Formats: sequence, structure tokens, C-alpha cells
Amino acid sequence: MQRRIRLGALAVTASIVVCAALASTVAAKTDGHASKAASSVVIGISLSLSGDFSDEGKAAKRGYQLWQAEVNAHGGLLGRKVQLKIVDDTSSPTQVVTNYENLITRDKVDLVLGPFSTLLTAPAATIAHRYGYAFIEPAGGGPSVFAAKLNNVFFAQPAPAIKNADVLANYILSLPKSERPKTAAYPMLDDPFAAPPIQRLQKRLEQAGIKTVYSATYPSELTDWSPIVAKVVAAKPDLIAAGTQNVDGYAIAKGLIQLHYNPKFLYIENGANDPLDFPTKIGRNETSGIMSSGDWFPAEKSNGNAAFIKAYVKAYGGSGQQIDTTSAEAYSCGQILQAAVAQAHTLDNATLIKTLHAHTYRTVNGTLSWDKYGSPKGETILVQWVGGKLVPVYPSKVALHKPILKPAWK
Amino acid sequence: MHTVVQAVILGVLTGGVYALMSSGLTLVFGIMRVINVAQGAMVILAAYLSSLMFSRIGLDPFLSIFLLVPAMFVVGVAAQLLFIRSLRGDHSVEMSLLVTWALALGVEGLLSVGFSTTDRTTLTSYADKSWSLAGYQFSVPRVIGFGVSILILVLLFALLRYTKFGRSIRAVVQNVAAARLLGVDPARVSAIGFGIGVSTAAAAGAVYGVIYPFNPGSHYDLISRLLSIIVLGGLGSVGGAIIAALLLGITESVVSVEVSPTWAALAFFIVLIAVLIVRPQGFFGLRERTL
Repeated sequence: MQRRIRLGALAVTASIVVCAALASTVAAKTDGHASKAASSVVIGISLSLSGDFSDEGKAAKRGYQLWQAEVNAHGGLLGRKVQLKIVDDTSSPTQVVTNYENLITRDKVDLVLGPFSTLLTAPAATIAHRYGYAFIEPAGGGPSVFAAKLNNVFFAQPAPAIKNADVLANYILSLPKSERPKTAAYPMLDDPFAAPPIQRLQKRLEQAGIKTVYSATYPSELTDWSPIVAKVVAAKPDLIAAGTQNVDGYAIAKGLIQLHYNPKFLYIENGANDPLDFPTKIGRNETSGIMSSGDWFPAEKSNGNAAFIKAYVKAYGGSGQQIDTTSAEAYSCGQILQAAVAQAHTLDNATLIKTLHAHTYRTVNGTLSWDKYGSPKGETILVQWVGGKLVPVYPSKVALHKPILKPAWK
Repeated sequence: MHTVVQAVILGVLTGGVYALMSSGLTLVFGIMRVINVAQGAMVILAAYLSSLMFSRIGLDPFLSIFLLVPAMFVVGVAAQLLFIRSLRGDHSVEMSLLVTWALALGVEGLLSVGFSTTDRTTLTSYADKSWSLAGYQFSVPRVIGFGVSILILVLLFALLRYTKFGRSIRAVVQNVAAARLLGVDPARVSAIGFGIGVSTAAAAGAVYGVIYPFNPGSHYDLISRLLSIIVLGGLGSVGGAIIAALLLGITESVVSVEVSPTWAALAFFIVLIAVLIVRPQGFFGLRERTL
């Protein structure tokens, strides 16, 4: 028995030592070159360069670096070159806290910008708030970020996640009654981003007399969506509005293709708004007519978008259609910061927070302004797949194409 | 009624694939009392390799099984010789759990580095096709996947029942000491048995990749299901694993359609717990025989 205890203790000690060693290597592994030169403005950023969000983390890094090149080519901030100090948080909400603590207190960076995802943004924002740093962030749009009621947060997308599907309701209710769907089905992932926007949508459409024939949430551990799709199809809805993240979004589209079911309107909240992955996951021919919500798209005529795409393609190859929206969102964080510093004529964070609250900012990601807790006041854009491309279709002031009726599957 | 029957069809087709994955897991446990918690990771590894062969050289995922099974057999034998054979003493079973878990994490790490963490699907020309029969839909890749799984299970069954090696495996499963007395080399049987276990994961992985989206972390979810299946079926019993897998498929699918998707996973665990209360050894659990 004693031997067992000793072995167990040894194993625990060994794993603690290994974990500690790993954590310190990870924490020490920094990317970018923070300069000690006093003339540079150092901006600290923690990004998920490894772990679950590493693809998006790296996309954000590309966006930040392109903005850095752009701002430095035009004289930097207040005439000083911008240096980014980017550290890896391994997609961990605890590491991200350590990282911002270190960036602010140890490295004494001048400014900070946000990480990827709500999961990491919420804890990171409180650290920035504690030290009075303005926190412009690209990807934390979930309720927990704004529920903390911090005055230093500025989410660089047009609308908070909860309003994702509002634009679909606006579009449907803008149609004459005869053209609206009569029945609707709402399959939803049990997730703070996926389900609540669709529940808002369901409520508004029900008030307008559109009958709900299916509404259910499914757990995030689900791996097989076929039974859900079968049930939805059996209800024969005119509109299917699926509250999804990416994988389930692809799976629901594929399930409908397999069952040859064509609703008049098919809206997939996330997944279908990915210009890069969606066509490869379900086949480009099959995308036609599928709707989604988007905040940025390559053809957008927003401030600096053409230059951003040109620089991106020059640096990383490919085409505008292949840019991850997270890159654009990170780039717009830089644009906002740049404009605010120019307006305030200072790097003082307290002054910057006041300035950011008082103005509206034109970015690649649209025109942005915020309420007092950083929730953006705009609305998302209804995007639709037309001829193999993702285009904005509503509201009409930003539309590049009229909404089309969903054609039959190929 | 129509939706229930459609759900049962889906459940059976899904269950067949899970049966294949869990058959290897339960076999390995039967032979050497090792729970290979890397079985899920092996399935995902095979799904990636099959997807890679499809995208690079256009090899159909179902045909890639012919390459994957021998290749992963070698991987399995090597893993057994390198990591598991050396475990001795009273705690070798617990240690094997840790070692195979480390193997699973290692495979996950390599896949994350090699293929990134985003989800993948193997999009074959028939991926979205389905046959319609009497108003019910039969998804083509699922039907083929089910057929392939059943075929391999039949082959595995024949191997165990009718070959000399199969007899030595069964002898080791029933009683190691007696098998040794009869001239069976348990070490050799263990290495080859582990290889066979990983081979079933290889075949199932190719099928899995066509039907489901997957990422390097998908194995966590898989292994928890596979473990439930082999416990319900009775540890060491291939037949039990098959029945339990079909039960899992059908229960989840029917509950998902008729009650709510949220209850689907829980419903299977309720069945699992209920069965274990009545029969702690599962459907066909082996009772340890000692000399």
C-alpha cells in the first residue's frame, strides 16, 4: 500500500513538474520583436497561436501585422514606429490572463489589443480594465464580454453576437406577406452564440404569424446531426433558420442535400458565412441560395478594404475570397486605435477610452460605434451564396446583389 | 411513425460503424486486459490518412482501407512492443491506461501540427447521395460504411473462430496460464492482437471520415462512446460490443427525433446504467476463470 502511495505521489509530482515546465516554455515563447527602443510604441497582444483556436489566432496575427506594416508605412502612431509584442496563450483562458498581466506590468507595453474568442476576451478585458488600458478587441462578441460592464471594451464588429440573426428577421418582414415563409424550423446548438440569436428571430417571426413547426436545441457534444435533419424535413418548413457554429452548420446543409429537401429559405448562422471553408465542405455547386450573417466580406466598399486585401494577397498569396474574416477584424482593431490616437494626440489610455466612446470609426469591417460597455450599435449584414460566391444581399444600402430564392439542390 | 422508422434506419447504420471501432477495443481488452484508450485517436488518425490519400491521389476512402489496415496493423504491433510490453508488475493494467492515453494525446498533437485544428470532411462524389426506398432515405456513404463494417466484422469473427491463431487468441482471452501450458505464446498473441485492434480502428476511421466531420480532438468524444459500448456489451466480448453499438445508435437516433437531441446521449447512459445494475458484467461479459 505504501508503495502505491509513493508511486502515486511520484506520478503527481512528475506531472506537476512537467506541466510547469511546459507552461513556462509556452509563456516564454513569444512572437514578434518587442523593441527596447524608446522611440517605438509597443502594443501588447495575446493570441491563440496554438491549441483549439490556433487557426483563428494565426488569422488574427496576420491582420494585426498587416495593420502594423500599414501604419508604419504612414509614419506610425504620433510619429513613432509601432512594434507588436505578440505572445501565445495556447487558447487557454487562464494563460491569456497571465499574458496580459505580464504585458502590462512587466513589459510595460504602451497599448494593448484583444485576443481571439469570447472565451478569452472576457477574462482578458478585466485585466486590461484593472490597469486602465483601452481594450479594442476583434472577436469577443458574446454576452459575457458586455455583461462585465467594463468601460474600456470596444468590440470591433458591427453588432454583438446576440443580434446575429436580426437582419434575417428584418429581411423577411420587409417582404410582402404573400412572399414570406408560412412555416419555419429552428434547430439550434446549445451555445451562447448560436441559440440566443435564433430564439430572438423565432419570437419576432412568430409575432408576425409565421408558424413554428420545429424548434429544438442540441448539445455541443453531438456528432451526428442526421436525426435532427430528418425531423426538420418531416415538418416540411418553408424557412429553416439554423443556429450553428461551423461544423454543425456544414452538417445540417449536407443532411438537407442528402434528403433532397429544398426549403424556400435556408439560413445557417455560422459556417455558411465562411467563404473559404463552406464550399469545400458541402461543394460549391450546392451553396447557391444559402443565407448567413456576416460582418466583413471581400467585396465590401468599406474604409481601407481594397488596400487591406491588396496587402494581404501580396503578403500571403491567394485571393480576397480566401481571407479569414478574423484577419479583417484584427486589422480593423488597428484602424480604430490609429484613428483614436490621432484624435486624442496621446497614448494615454484614459484619454483614449474617452475618445473611443465619443466617436464613430470607419474600418474595413464597416462603421463602428459602441454603447458604454463596448457593445457595437450597428447591425450585421445578410449574406447569401450567389453563383458560388458569398455576397451581401440585405440591407439594401450595403447589398451587392438582390436576395435570390433558394434553387433546388444539384 | 415514419420518423421513428427513419430514425431506426439511421441508428442501425451508425451503430454498425461504432461496432467496428469497439470490436477492436474489446478484443484487445480480452487478450491482455489493456484498455486501449488510444483507439479513438487511431480512428481519427486513419480518417486523416484516408482523407489525405483522397485529396492527394484521388483514392476512394473505402478503397484506402486496403492500405490503411496493413499499415496501421504495423503501427499497432509496434506500439504494443514499444510501450505496452515493457509494463510489468501489479499495476501494469493501470499503467497501460496511462500509456495508451499518452499515445492518444501524442497522436492528437501530431495531427494538430500536421493538419491544423479545423474540422475536415472527406467530400467524395457520392457523399451527399441517398437512395430512396418505400419513402425512406438511405444515405449512400452510410450504407456503404455499414456494409464495409459488417464485412470486416464477419472476417474478424471468422479469424477468431476458424483459424489456429484465432484459437490461440481465444485461449489467451479465457485463461492466460492455461494457454501457456498448451504452447501458446501470450506475448506474440498480445502483439498481433493489439495490431488487429488498431487495424479495426483503421478501417473504421476511413468510414468515419466519409460520414462525419472530424478534427484532431474528435477522439475524446469517440473514446467515451466506445468505452460505454464495450462495458455494456461485456468487456472482451466482440458479439456484445456489436449489439451494444447498435443499441447506442438506435437509442440516440430515436430519442433525438422523438424526444429531444439534448436527451439523446443521456438516454444511452440510462440504458447502460440500468443494464449494469442487473448484469454488472454487461451483456456477454466474461467471468474470469482461474486455475
